[in-house]
Parts: sequence; C-alpha cells; structure tokens
Amino acid sequence: MRGKFSFGVCGIAALAALSIACITPLRAQSAQSIEQKTQVCAACHGADGKPADKTIPVIWGQQAGYLYIQLRDFKRGDRKSDIMQPIASSMERDEMQAIAEYLAQKPWPDLGQPRASKDVADRASNANRSIGCTGCHLDQFQGDGTIPRLAGQSREYLTKTIADFRSRARGNNPGMTDLMLATAPDDLAALEEYLSGL
Amino acid sequence: MNKFSIACAALLGATGLLAGPSFAQQEVKQEAKSTSGQAKVSPVTQAQLNAADKSTTNFLLTNGNYAQTRFYPAKQIDRDNVKNLHVAWIFQTDVKESLETSPIVVDGVMYVTTSFSHVYALDAKTGVQLWHYNHKMGLVTTYCCGPNNRGVQVLGDLVYLATLDAKLVALNAKTGDVVWKTDIADPELGYSETMAPTVIKDKVLIGTNGGEYGIRGFVKAYDAKTGKLIWTFNTIPENSVGVWATKDATGRDMHRNIQAEKDQLAKTGDPYQKLGGGVWQNPAIDLATNRIYFVVGNPSPDLDGSVRPGDNLYTNSLVSLDLDTGKYVCHLQYIAHDVWDLDAVSPTVLVDVKGKDGKTIPGVLHAGKTGHIYVHDRKDCSLIRFSEAMVPQENMWVLPTKEGARMLPGANGGVEWSPIATDPGQGLAYAINLHQPMTYQVENSPYPNGKLWLGGAFKAIPGEAQAGNITAVDYNTGKIKWQVKTPEPMIGGILATAGGLVFTGEGNGKFAAYNSSNGKELWNFRAGAGVNAPPSSYMVGGKQYIVVGAGGNTQVDFHRGNNIIAFSLN
Ligand code: HEC
Ligand code: HEC
Repeated sequence: MRGKFSFGVCGIAALAALSIACITPLRAQSAQSIEQKTQVCAACHGADGKPADKTIPVIWGQQAGYLYIQLRDFKRGDRKSDIMQPIASSMERDEMQAIAEYLAQKPWPDLGQPRASKDVADRASNANRSIGCTGCHLDQFQGDGTIPRLAGQSREYLTKTIADFRSRARGNNPGMTDLMLATAPDDLAALEEYLSGL
Repeated sequence: MNKFSIACAALLGATGLLAGPSFAQQEVKQEAKSTSGQAKVSPVTQAQLNAADKSTTNFLLTNGNYAQTRFYPAKQIDRDNVKNLHVAWIFQTDVKESLETSPIVVDGVMYVTTSFSHVYALDAKTGVQLWHYNHKMGLVTTYCCGPNNRGVQVLGDLVYLATLDAKLVALNAKTGDVVWKTDIADPELGYSETMAPTVIKDKVLIGTNGGEYGIRGFVKAYDAKTGKLIWTFNTIPENSVGVWATKDATGRDMHRNIQAEKDQLAKTGDPYQKLGGGVWQNPAIDLATNRIYFVVGNPSPDLDGSVRPGDNLYTNSLVSLDLDTGKYVCHLQYIAHDVWDLDAVSPTVLVDVKGKDGKTIPGVLHAGKTGHIYVHDRKDCSLIRFSEAMVPQENMWVLPTKEGARMLPGANGGVEWSPIATDPGQGLAYAINLHQPMTYQVENSPYPNGKLWLGGAFKAIPGEAQAGNITAVDYNTGKIKWQVKTPEPMIGGILATAGGLVFTGEGNGKFAAYNSSNGKELWNFRAGAGVNAPPSSYMVGGKQYIVVGAGGNTQVDFHRGNNIIAFSLN
C-alpha cells in the first residue's frame, strides 16, 4: 500500500477484505438484485451515500457513464486501487452498467462541507477560466456522461485524486493528468476547497 | 438470499455501516417524444435541395446550400429598414446548455436542436412547438468541448440527426417518430457526434469528433432510406507519413525535428490507427463535378508530436472525395505534424474565385484556426492564396514546452468551428474571430484506451485581455476589407443576406446586423444569453424572418440560456 495512505484507511482495507469475501459468493447468484449487489458498496461509500471515510468518493448521484468507466478501468487495471480493483474484477460489463445506472439515480448526499470564501472562490474561478474545467465538467461542475460531477465531492478525496493524477498514480486519464500538471498547486488547492463547498 | 450473503450482511451490519433495504424508485421514463401538433410539411425533394441557394422561403441546409455560402437571397430586410427589426417570437427549449444549432426551415416548419441531441419542430411563424424528440442517451458519451448539437437536415419526409452517443437517427418529419437508427461508431473509444448530417442524393454524409481521444477519423455515407453504410473514408490513410514538410501552407517554418521523427517511425511504425483526424463540420458539395470538400481536424494527441512521427496525413487538411464512391481526389495540408491544435474545423465554402493568373475559376474557401482564410483551386485542392491574418499572430511556430510557451493565436483560433458567410456578388467572406493569448504545454503519455489524450495543455494566460472580431475578407485579393472589434472572443456563426447585411452574435448576448460592405452596425438586440449559434433566415406569409439560438457556449464559457429567437419587420 502506498505510503500516503493515512491511518484511517487501514479500516478501509479491513472492510475491503470483508467486502471481497462477500462479493464473490454474491456474484454466484445470477438473480441477485442490484440493491443486493450494491449493499457491499455501502460499507465504504455510505449507506446514505455519505462515505465512511473522507478519502472515499461520493458515488451516489454521480454520472452513470463515469461510474461505469471507473469500474471498467479498475477491472482492466487502468486505474490502480488495492481496494477497488478486486471488487470490480469479478464484474461483467452489463453488471457494471446496471450498478452505474442504479447508483446514478440515487440522490447526491450533502456532506455539509463549508462554502469557500470569496478569495478562494475567485482564485478557483480564475484557474477554471485559464484551463476551462467547465468546458468539460459543464456549468456548475455537474458533469455528464463519462465526465464526473465535481460539485460537492469530498474535499479530501478531491485532494487525493488530483495528487494521484499529478503523480500518475491515477493513470487512467492522461488528459486529466496533463491538465492537473499544467495547473499551479495553489490553484488546485483553491479548486478543491471551492468544488467541495458547491 | 443464500446463507453466505446473510452472513455477510450480518457482519457488515455489525459494523453499523450497512444500508437498510433500499428499493429502486420506479422510474417514470420521460416520453422520448411529445407531440402537440403535426408538422405539415411536404416531402423535401433533391431538386429543392439542389436549388436551396435560390430559395427565399426555406432554409434547407445547415450552411444555406450545398456550396455552404451562407448567403441568403431574400432582401425584404435591408440596410434601410433593419433598424425596425423586432422579436416575432421566442421559443424556450427544455435544455439550458450550449446552443450551436442552425435552424432549418421547410414550408413554415422550423427544426432546431439543442445540447444533448434534442430536436424540436416549431411553427416558424408563431414559435409554437409541434413536436419534441428527446434522444435517450446511451450510458457512455465521450465528447470534447460541450454536449453540443449543430442541427439536422431534411430529405423526403425524414429528418436526420447525429447524436452525442454517436448514432445516426432518421425521424419522421411530421411527427418526430424514429424511423431508423444506426450506430456510427463506439463512444467508448472516444467517438461522438455534434455536427448536422449533410444529405444528398439518397446519401447521409457524416464525419466524427474524437481527435482528443485517439480515434481514427472518418467521413461515412449511409443510405438515406435504410441507414445502411455505403462507404467509409478514413481521414487517416494507412500511410500517414507524407513528405516531411518543414513549412506550413503559408511558408512558415514549423521547427520539426525530422531526424527524431524518422527514428521514432523506425521504432514504432506508422501511427495511423490512433491518429485522430476528426471531421467536425459539413462538407461542401460541388453538384457539377459530384465531389465533396471538407476539412480534417487535429492529430491525437493534440500537443505531443513525439509519439506520432510524420506529417500525420490528412489531419489539418482540406480533402476532396468523389461523392458516389468516397474515393480520394485531392488534399492540401495546412499544418503538417501539428502540435498546437490549430487545426481545420470551420466548414468549407465553394465560390468562384480569381486564380493565380487572375482568371475566374471554381474555388474553395476555408477559414483556419491560424486566422487566415485559405483560397483553393477546386480542381486539385492547391492553394491559390491566403488572406492577411485576421487576428494577432505571435511567436509562430514555437514548439510547446514543459513549462508552457506563449504563442498567438490560442488553441481555439483564429476561427473555431464557426461557419463563415460569403457575399459572392461583393467577393467577400465574413468570419468571426477569437483572440485568446495562450501558452502551449507538452506532456508525454501512451494511448489511454479511448480516454482524453491531449499530450499536454493549452492555457489562457491570466491577465492577458481576450477579444474578438468580425472580419470581411476580399477572397480575390486576400486583403481585409473591414473589421469590427468585439469585447469578447467570437464563436457561433454568421449569415449574409441579399439585403446587404450580415448578422452575427456575441457571447455577451448581443446580436447585431451590419452593413456587409463596410461593417457599420445598423441594429442590435440583447438576448441575455450568449448568441453563439449561426443565424438562419426564411419567409412565411410573405414576411422575412431572421432566427438565431441564444444559449451560450460551453467551450468559451458564455452565459447559458435556452432561447430560439425569431425577428421580423412590423
Ligand atoms: C472497502 C471499501 C470500499 C468498498 C467496499 C467499495 N469501494 Fe469503491 N472506492 C473505495 C475507495 C477507497 C475508492 C477511491 C480509490 C482511489 O482513488 O484510489 C473508491 C472508488 C470508487 C469509484 C470511483 C469514484 C470516483 O469518483 O472516481 C467507484 C465508481 C466505486 N468506488 C464504486 C464502488 C462500487 C460500485 C462498490 C460496490 C460494488 C464499491 N465501490 C465498494 C472504497 C470502496
Ligand atoms: C478536456 C476535458 C476536461 C477538462 C478541461 C477538465 N477535466 Fe477533469 N475530468 C475529465 C474527464 C473525462 C474525467 C474522468 C477521468 C477518468 O476517465 O477517470 C475527469 C476527472 C476529473 C476529476 C476526478 C473526479 C473523480 O471523481 O475522481 C477531477 C477532480 C477533475 N477532473 C478536476 C478537474 C479540474 C479541477 C479541471 C480544471 C482545472 C478539470 N478537471 C478540467 C475531463 C476534463
């Protein structure tokens, strides 16, 4: 496991082991409903959509196309994660798509993160103007299709995944890596704070 | 539930993290289509389409006619009375996102589209909705630069639409019902559609987006009645290497390291399979010779040339094909081995032009992202001349660096996808321009399985002012005839009319009419949302209308709206 994983993540790893143990037999049942299949996700991503740990992303209400592509990438190994890769590895395409559609219809949870101050918001919108984040993530950072919603995502997760894009530890979208490398760290910090408070 | 999962549920439940039983909400699917009336249109014939340039009642093709002149022959609205232009009606679509549609008008029925590939049929006189087609989008869409759609075309009693999830759809022109549907390409590999199809002689012609995702671009022709594929022209030939051009079409050195490219070629071979080459906009069609002319977009990845040795044919080129077979006729490459995304997107226009020897010959125009209007000989695609630069050019062609190198124009151009208009009587072409100072930055990464593959980034430089122009160019001399400065970069389109006018809009919501001979502003209107779509014109009940979408723009982030606004005189 990478050094940057914090203490809290050990708990997640334990949960992961547990989930994987559960998910395999669950798969064996073909008549398994989507609700049942996604129960295991709740352990980490939250029973009410609020993740159990701040470094875990919100997936309720996320764009379906994006959720599917991430599961596909975890399975292919294009996106590395000691936790998610084993979970996705047993899923077939149809199943990933059904889960993605199901989760996308859930309401996006309010994590109660504070709104960014005016200074931070201004800095974030200048950075957005320079790179054109909303050119892809769309107005209000709501995303669409295979482009994720960023508004209201967990700040700690945003920080982690942006750092992972920059270090190529997250290597499943070199285009996003390039854009993150082209953005100054201070601007990224402002964006993380701003986006989480939307 | 079997024993195993009960055990698991209990275990997880014990941690206090398990969800209570949750049930999927019974989804109430919005009807894919709602009809409030019928569109009473008679079938559009090929003869009508061929003569679209002469019609003062209909607006049948995205760019007015097969030559794509965007010159509308009606002159009821003219330089004297345009000041009296007022709103006839405003239709509000259900989609408040980037609006790039070119309204099509047939027998008093208007067809418009919105972002996410919706289609509306409207009464062109009143703005009353006749039907609405709400495309059920596939799970996966992969697109660059906004969920745009630029319109439809009608032939017979079918309306043709290409969708964001890369499908071609034929709708019943009267009711909006789907008649047939076919997959153009796989969105999971980076393909999407935003352009309007061009329909001719029972063929539907369509290009593709995807140059930011390592696709292999194409133009395809489908049978208009059945949706069966007739031919495919790959915009990237299997031998994409070319002639190792060191200069662009205007003669400027592009600073290529040819030896490094040759070494790379020896190592990794021809990169044709993932080389991009999207076709964003409609081909122009020469009815006399049965040839089509279109431009091909950037190579993939946009900014990193190290992984794609050679000229990267036919990216950044004008290409001509035989309409019946899709066979190559000629090409001219503007920028070989582009590493700035200063590609070719704005649709081609066929007009007669003065050749090198001063004799009038059939020509082709294209407004490049470089900021030049290129004038070609239609026979062999060769370049006759290029216009004065319409926007500031600085530091061309400095290579992108790790830190970012400043160069003008910025990566949106020059001229973006926005169609130009022409007034062949005056020998003028009208283009709308962007001025966005940017830095070009390069990064290296291998092909990412259909994911965003930019090979770096272009960044608008904070603190450097952006602006736009409306520019009239004399295409027989290449000289700028007049230019109007605008406070923001311009994206959308422009229309010229026989009334001696040009109409175009700005991102700040201004929509205005100008004297087409000298650029004097004669009328303007504030739409509230960005007017970033090409205007059309038509006549119903003896009255000429001008119509335009005001919905802002995703790419340049102009204020969004959802209005289709029609104007007429009293
Ligand atoms: C043991 C904890 C755990 C379980 C169980 C779990 N996840 Fe995850 N999930 C994570 C973590 C941690 C990440 C972030 C991975 C990273 O970025 O390194 C993640 C990331 C994701 C992502 C990517 C989201 C984004 O915004 O990029 C998706 C999609 C996802 N999980 C879906 C699921 C689904 C579906 C299930 C159930 C079938 C599930 N997860 C079960 C911990 C878990
Ligand atoms: C050219 C399009 C484009 C632009 C511009 C862009 N993004 Fe992205 N972004 C994407 C795509 C596509 C993804 C999905 C990545 C994947 O496939 O895993 C993504 C993913 C992300 C993620 C990961 C979200 C998650 O849930 O894991 C973050 C964070 C993000 N982008 C932030 C930004 C910021 C901040 C900017 C501007 C500085 C930006 N993006 C600009 C296309 C873009």
